[in-house]
Amino acid sequence: MDLFLQQLLNGLSTGSVYTLVALGLTMVFGVLHIPNFAHGAFYMIGAYVTLTVMTILGLHYWVAMIFSVFVIASLAVLSDRLVYHPLRNASPLQHMIAAVGILLFLEALAQVLWGADYRRMETSYDDVVHIFGLTVTEQRLLILIAAVVIMAALHWFLRKTMIGSAIIAMAQNREGAYLVGINANVISVLTFAISGALAAAAATLASPINLIFPAMGNLVIMKAFVIIIIGGMGSIPGAILGGYLLGVAESFGATYISGDYKDMIAFVLLVIILTVKPTGLFPGRVH
Amino acid sequence: MEVKRGELVVLLGANGAGKSTIFRTISGLTKPSYGEITFLDKKISGWSPNRIVMLGVVQCAEGRKLFPGMTVFENLKMGGFVHRQNKRELKALFPYVFDLFPILREKKDQPAGSLSGGQQQMLAIARALMAKPKLLLLDEPSLGLAPLIVKQLFDIIQRINQEGTTVLLAEQNASAALKIADRGYVIESGEIVIEGSSETLLNHDQIRKAYIGA
Repeated sequence: MDLFLQQLLNGLSTGSVYTLVALGLTMVFGVLHIPNFAHGAFYMIGAYVTLTVMTILGLHYWVAMIFSVFVIASLAVLSDRLVYHPLRNASPLQHMIAAVGILLFLEALAQVLWGADYRRMETSYDDVVHIFGLTVTEQRLLILIAAVVIMAALHWFLRKTMIGSAIIAMAQNREGAYLVGINANVISVLTFAISGALAAAAATLASPINLIFPAMGNLVIMKAFVIIIIGGMGSIPGAILGGYLLGVAESFGATYISGDYKDMIAFVLLVIILTVKPTGLFPGRVH
Repeated sequence: MEVKRGELVVLLGANGAGKSTIFRTISGLTKPSYGEITFLDKKISGWSPNRIVMLGVVQCAEGRKLFPGMTVFENLKMGGFVHRQNKRELKALFPYVFDLFPILREKKDQPAGSLSGGQQQMLAIARALMAKPKLLLLDEPSLGLAPLIVKQLFDIIQRINQEGTTVLLAEQNASAALKIADRGYVIESGEIVIEGSSETLLNHDQIRKAYIGA
């Protein structure tokens, strides 16, 4: 039973990171219909930016995170204005090609700036705490709490503010949104900024328990795509549920089946869920 | 084509005549290839939709274009998006639209997607009113609705007009529309073929044959 709870806790903390990444991806897809393959590269650059300002400027972990959130939000907005926005009337295939282009560009950029070596992010949160007979590192607890705080803030923004609701309105009916006077450009910039900010926050939270390297975003983005397909493309509750589901499934799979198959579980889950419910768990619209 | 302040003008035409294209172009959803649209002495052709709404030209589009996952109340709130800085004024508009459409008050916490066709149409008009239009564009509000609901709807449109909002109404239902309108235009393949006062149009042979069937 202890092992079960232990792995549940580990799974939830991994799932928190997946969820934050998937939320940004699903919002951009739901509002702008862009499958942003470059989202994993935003995640990767986010980790490097945090690491760099921590080591070079000596900033505290949380301050570095806020710095990184702003940098990646700007990077995401920049990619929208320079690449996706000019392509807004192009075919979906061109969005995909452009996204892969941004991904390759950012990965190459990271290799040039930071090299191909694996790096570690040292924080002061690597102590172990015991709660209810479970052993967990402080960092994993922080991930869990921070993710919930970030999601609550996002929920508040999307539900309770006019400009946040405008994002949801745009996702539910694009022309309806134009006709009530919502400015498409403002919403596009805002959505990309939020998605970039979420990627940077997720990367900063996950980095102390993983390694940082230029290709670190690839597996994460593949899993994030699995999550939003499972959850229903563009669905926010779907991304949250799917993210935690995948984190927990991976954690249990590694424990009870074999650690070697951990990264395969996402895709097995995808096949199973799409077989049973081809539209995803929350089909249709952004809620 | 011209609409004067305070008028209720109807735009008649069969399917594919170009009514919706005219409306989409006025609202900035489609850019005109040539020609000019002016509103209160401002040239608005080519403007972005949000600037046009801010100026007071608000469209209630064909197909309603509601936000189906949002409640009736939230839809109305989004309708007032351009006036979001002025919360008090926006709040004061709710009793007004609920008074026009009492059914919306009853359903205010239900998702817009769960309403019946007639209720959705009422919500679409109410949402457009929340933007405080100077000119309200209504694109085929009677489409697919039962005759009784259409009559109710047209009474309300007339009342909106009498309370000071200029209305441009696109319709196929010529007899009902001409009864409440001051003037009308008939268009075919994007061209105005007949124009005149409501009485003239109602008694016009060609129109009686083509649109009223009498």
